[in-house]
Amino acid sequence: MANLPAQAAADTLGARLGRVALYAALGLFALFYLMPMLVMIATSLKDVEEIRSGSLLAWPQSVSLDAWRYAWSEACIGVECTGLAPYFRNSVLMAVPAVLLSSLFGALNGYALTKWRFRGANVVFGMLLFGSFIPFQVVLLPMSQTLGFLGLASSVPGLVLVHTVYGIAFTTLFFRNYYVTLPDDLVKAATIDGAGFFTIFWRIILPLSPSIIVVTVIWQFTQIWNDFLFGASFTSGGAQPVTVALNNLVNTTTGVKLYNVDMAAAIIAALPTLLVYIVAGRYFVRGLTAGSVKG
Amino acid sequence: MAHLEVRNVRKSFGDTHVLKGISLDLAGGEFLVLLGPSGCGKSTLLNMIAGLDSITDGEIVIDGRVVNAVHPKNRDIAMVFQSYALYPNMTVKKNIAFGLEMRGVPADERARLIAKTSALLQIDHLLDRKPAQLSGGQRQRVAMGRALVRDPKIFLFDEPLSNLDAKLRVDMRTEIKKLHGRLGTTIVYVTHDQIEAMTLATQIAVMRGGVIEQLAPPQDVYETPANMYVGGFVGSPPMNFVPATVVDQGNGLGVRFRCAANGGDGDVVLPLADPAAAAQWKDREVVFGLRPEALTDYNEAEASIREHAHAFDCRVDVLEPTGADTLTYVELGGSTAIARVNPRRTTRPGDTMRLMADMSHASLFDPSTERRI
Ligand SMILES: Nc1ncnc2c1ncn2[C@@H]1O[C@H](COP(=O)(O)OP(=O)(O)OP(=O)(O)O)[C@@H](O)[C@H]1O
Ligand SMILES: [Mg+2]
Repeated sequence: MANLPAQAAADTLGARLGRVALYAALGLFALFYLMPMLVMIATSLKDVEEIRSGSLLAWPQSVSLDAWRYAWSEACIGVECTGLAPYFRNSVLMAVPAVLLSSLFGALNGYALTKWRFRGANVVFGMLLFGSFIPFQVVLLPMSQTLGFLGLASSVPGLVLVHTVYGIAFTTLFFRNYYVTLPDDLVKAATIDGAGFFTIFWRIILPLSPSIIVVTVIWQFTQIWNDFLFGASFTSGGAQPVTVALNNLVNTTTGVKLYNVDMAAAIIAALPTLLVYIVAGRYFVRGLTAGSVKG
Repeated sequence: MAHLEVRNVRKSFGDTHVLKGISLDLAGGEFLVLLGPSGCGKSTLLNMIAGLDSITDGEIVIDGRVVNAVHPKNRDIAMVFQSYALYPNMTVKKNIAFGLEMRGVPADERARLIAKTSALLQIDHLLDRKPAQLSGGQRQRVAMGRALVRDPKIFLFDEPLSNLDAKLRVDMRTEIKKLHGRLGTTIVYVTHDQIEAMTLATQIAVMRGGVIEQLAPPQDVYETPANMYVGGFVGSPPMNFVPATVVDQGNGLGVRFRCAANGGDGDVVLPLADPAAAAQWKDREVVFGLRPEALTDYNEAEASIREHAHAFDCRVDVLEPTGADTLTYVELGGSTAIARVNPRRTTRPGDTMRLMADMSHASLFDPSTERRI
């Protein structure tokens, strides 16, 4: 209904011209933002010879996936020439459990903090809030000691633990802010109906949370997948995540710089977060605005 | 049919004392209405009976068992919330079934009970809808269904009708009353609507600021309010309060107050129907309370059959026609009083009119404590 007047207005010539100008401007901006991406893709599809002789902006003359294959399975990362594949796997093994665990704990915390206001709930929430403002660098040393103590140093499970713990502050904040908008009467009614803490959580609260779950999962996945600092600080060699491996790949190439391989590797490393946005992006926007409207 | 007892129950949130010693004794099958203004602690009391809120002090007893430490689900109560609190993610059927499921009622038994309840409430055609697809009245019925289906010992209602429009509210009120007649379950019902309280209750507890001001059957609350607050809160328009003095009158006592009439200002003395009760108050100031319907236009025929009806003249200030009656504002003893007058017997504002007070329905209050004498 809301865009009916706009459509009516588009019927006049002036308005139509305005529209054309608007789309032209938008297209220009889009191009501006997409340019680096296009250059990356184009470069990754060229061979080394073409990169050296041709223009950076030119489209590849012969499309070849060799650079991708090389980046994925052959490129040398440090001394191991395994390509990105094992590190990509590390990242998946790190990100998926860490995202799931931190989101689950965040949901449980948010639920407990809003619907079971125990003594000191506000203090706990205040400390969690504070936790989300602590810079990464501050926790590096104590965390590495802790990991050493737990025997998880330089391992993927160690990274899962770090990201889960560090993520809980954010996920709790997200879920708490969403759950305060859910009426307390739901929990009271369910309590009288005979449901306990976890039953209410699984049967009533979680089914009402898809939008905030999507927001949290996207946020956490992006944070964890893109993390470099923790990965670089707490792991070495075969346990490194793809971001660290990418860095090493780019830095250890000796001799001729294989820009096509670097670009392909960079795209590979960025692909999962891109994919998550494409698949769930519209839920993200919807989730961010949920709660602001009664529904 | 459960016997509910509330023994000197208190509730404090830190230094805020929300309930200051509430005691009730409710026989099985009674319909108790907690009536009071916003913030007086009605919902708090209801939540404590339900077990949703902890009890600072005192005891709640259901059928002789102290339930202070009993979990809400084991108290065998059901509650209907003002917001209905239907589970938005479940269909109507699942909403109704949830409590049964939690209690481990087998599926076929659940289906039978849902069918029975939904037929009773006429919501059978809505069973597969989600709450968002229901109107306010339908949601209300589902919320009732969720409570009814478990056949609890006590029903708790927290302002269940306040989100409905006026017409639906009256319909549902009648239906709740019928339901109570049919099931005979003990009910505690919170409202701040005094008409709802009068029509539904077998007992009304008028609350103010965390205390019960009066606990009595509706007609008693209406006719013999325990204090001026109750008299003013129950009834629409509220009871008239006239500052007056108790004086000798014939061989009994009467109340004397000033009243303008026939261009002058004069004293009116109305004989008390029960002078013995006011004996100690002779020559002292009191507040004389009279319901608007006990203050009417003078009617010779009626005056002659009613022993305690007495006529006096008074100047009319304002007229408010309501259809059935015209509310006639007069000034008695310096404060405004309202008379219910037959629309065909009104005069113009400023004129003097002959009124009749039915003193058998008069109340006297102590002006300092505001308590009934
Ligand atoms: N958690 C709390 N902490 C402090 N004060 C509270 C808390 N909950 C309720 N109160 C106070 O207790 C008083 C009674 O609240 P309650 O909800 O029982 O009122 P009510 O009679 O049901 O009012 P209404 O008709 O508006 O529903 C209010 O003054 C309220 O501010
Ligand atoms: Mg309330």
